[in-house]
Amino acid sequence: MEEPPLREEEEGEEEEEEDAERDEAGPEGALGKSPFRLTAEDVYDISYVMGRELMALGSDPRVTQLQFKIVRVLEMLEALVSEGNLAVEELRMERDSLRKEVEGLRRVGPPDSAGGEVNLGPDKVVVDLTDPNRPRFTLQELRDVLQERNRLKSQLLVAQEELQCYKSGLFPLPREGPRGRREKDALLARASNASSSKEEKTIIKKLYNYSNKKHT
Amino acid sequence: MRSSLTPLGPPVSRDRVIASFPKWYTPEACLQLKEHFHGHVSAACQRRNTGTVGLRLSKVVVVGDLYVGKTSLIYRFCKNVFDRDYKATIGVDFEIERFEIAGIPYSLQIWDTAGQEKFKCIASAYYRGAQGPVIITAFDLTDVQTLEHTRQWLQDALRENEANSCFIFLVGTKKDLLSGAACEQAEAEAVHMANQMQAEYWSVSAKTGENVKAFFSRVAALAFEQSVLQDLERRNSAQLQVGDGDLIRMEGSPPKSQDSKQPSSLGCC
Repeated sequence: MEEPPLREEEEGEEEEEEDAERDEAGPEGALGKSPFRLTAEDVYDISYVMGRELMALGSDPRVTQLQFKIVRVLEMLEALVSEGNLAVEELRMERDSLRKEVEGLRRVGPPDSAGGEVNLGPDKVVVDLTDPNRPRFTLQELRDVLQERNRLKSQLLVAQEELQCYKSGLFPLPREGPRGRREKDALLARASNASSSKEEKTIIKKLYNYSNKKHT
Repeated sequence: MRSSLTPLGPPVSRDRVIASFPKWYTPEACLQLKEHFHGHVSAACQRRNTGTVGLRLSKVVVVGDLYVGKTSLIYRFCKNVFDRDYKATIGVDFEIERFEIAGIPYSLQIWDTAGQEKFKCIASAYYRGAQGPVIITAFDLTDVQTLEHTRQWLQDALRENEANSCFIFLVGTKKDLLSGAACEQAEAEAVHMANQMQAEYWSVSAKTGENVKAFFSRVAALAFEQSVLQDLERRNSAQLQVGDGDLIRMEGSPPKSQDSKQPSSLGCC
């Protein structure tokens, strides 16, 4: 994509040179030009030169016939040249505006850091990597976490129930000695009349002592 | 005596003991009108002949739009609290509530699903129940749109289950926000919807606690009764296969013929 503009610039220079050439060479110079660089004015110059030469040939009716055809051909050439030049001008303007746009985009920076409007197509989302609350985890990960949570919750419920059973004396405390007996009575008493926090403390303390003694 | 009945758990709290069959909320939309346990069920409970029912969990799935108060309803019942702040449920949550029904221990596992659309694909995986869950479709009594959406919620829940095996409840929440004519109007529309979905209708308020305990007791009793009946039926048919002397007596009084005489089973169960 870098090449065409360069060539254009060269061409521009050539054009300028030839304009100067033509000015020097006069109307005849137009016939020596490259056909791709002809302008409407060149065509007029050519028709002036040819008209003059035809006149010099005199009033032979064959010359008059040929003159009509030559005029027609020159008209066609004029149309082609002006149409072509117009198209070239349009393309040149379009090229310039596109060039400006590219330069503008290059100045802003690469598109992924720009955060500008990027058309990703349907069903796509742009994620801002600097947003601490950006979506990060997959659906499967959430599913797994929920399953784990549910599993732990049911285990907790079972453990709580079991604890409740021990507290209410439904399950006997392991290895009851005379001391254990007393412990259980205290627990039962507590379960029957949701008692004061003071008593609760002592029971927990007793339980703690009990289990400590067992382990040592 | 109780300890011999409940070898796997502490005694249930007094307000979870259901001795007589809990009543419906409105006779215009209820699953059954009778006021006592099914004869076979009472008899089985008295003889302590309820098989493994007492060890079983019945699954309850609560569905409905976001912010209608599914979590609040469950929290009011299970923990007796009401939190004014809204916190969206992520995916699913559950609570287990233990009852003693007609002397038999019985538990409900209540699944609280997220109402937000984005969690639907996760929550819907929990809709399925082994023997037909209880489906509670909740809506906000003050928002008629949420009532309209219950139809879709029910459809989604039923897709995962055999329609005839499920008990369906339609529950209008936030009853405390309505009164008088507005409340009557909302309830009339809800009853209409409930009849279309063959559901039992209840109006509740998690904030005041109105009807919350009565509603869940009703759910538990209906689920329990169905479990016992299914259990009896299964054991009877097992005995039939063995082909012992009980064969003739079984033919005389199959539990199914009793079922069909019930006034309003509404094609459910």
